[in-house]
Amino acid sequence: MDEGDIALRNLTYGLFVELGRAPTVDDASARIGSTPDDVWAGWQRLHDAHALVLQTGTREIRMANPFSAVPTAYRVFADNRWWFANCAWDAFGVGAALHRDSRIEASCADCGEPISVQVRDEKPDDDGLLFHCLVPAIRWWDDIAFT
Amino acid sequence: MNLFRSEEHIIQWLGTRSAGTTISVTKLSELAHAWWGNRIDPSWQPRTREENQLILDDLGLTDSFWSFSAVLPEH
Repeated sequence: MDEGDIALRNLTYGLFVELGRAPTVDDASARIGSTPDDVWAGWQRLHDAHALVLQTGTREIRMANPFSAVPTAYRVFADNRWWFANCAWDAFGVGAALHRDSRIEASCADCGEPISVQVRDEKPDDDGLLFHCLVPAIRWWDDIAFT
Repeated sequence: MNLFRSEEHIIQWLGTRSAGTTISVTKLSELAHAWWGNRIDPSWQPRTREENQLILDDLGLTDSFWSFSAVLPEH
């Protein structure tokens, strides 16, 4: 990642938070003053560098971790807005990234019973809940959507 | 990367699959804050693999599951 791509990445994340959704190539190009094709080429390089994840077959962002651009089973209320997270880890990451307390609404992956966790001062209010990660760290990016 | 109500629910969900690793949501929250805390900083810079590993190590996540350089057995 060169400095130009890092700047594009940081602008893209900033827009995600500002807009409350994934920016489009037009959003980013208007802000940065470059062409949509230049933004798209940069996003592809960032995707290859695992700095964000693009939606296959589109010119759209799927993940700007911890944020998800598409609806998921992990909803987070933080900074007076609802967000989608990509997974349980990312769900805790939304409040962390925003530097805000948060409330996570999800469900038990086994039985489907709703789970609600309040995170205040970085601490969840229910330590009885468990997080399970199936894929070892070295293989996380083999298939990040599955991970 | 899922949430579960209890260990029994994890076992039931896994079925015949091999288990990965399990941590409490308190540890998960510590991990998330260490990992994602600077994610939207305007001056964010990419971390190296070694820096990522150090975050896990500092949280006591030191077994081979959490290693970015582990040699894993073939399935």
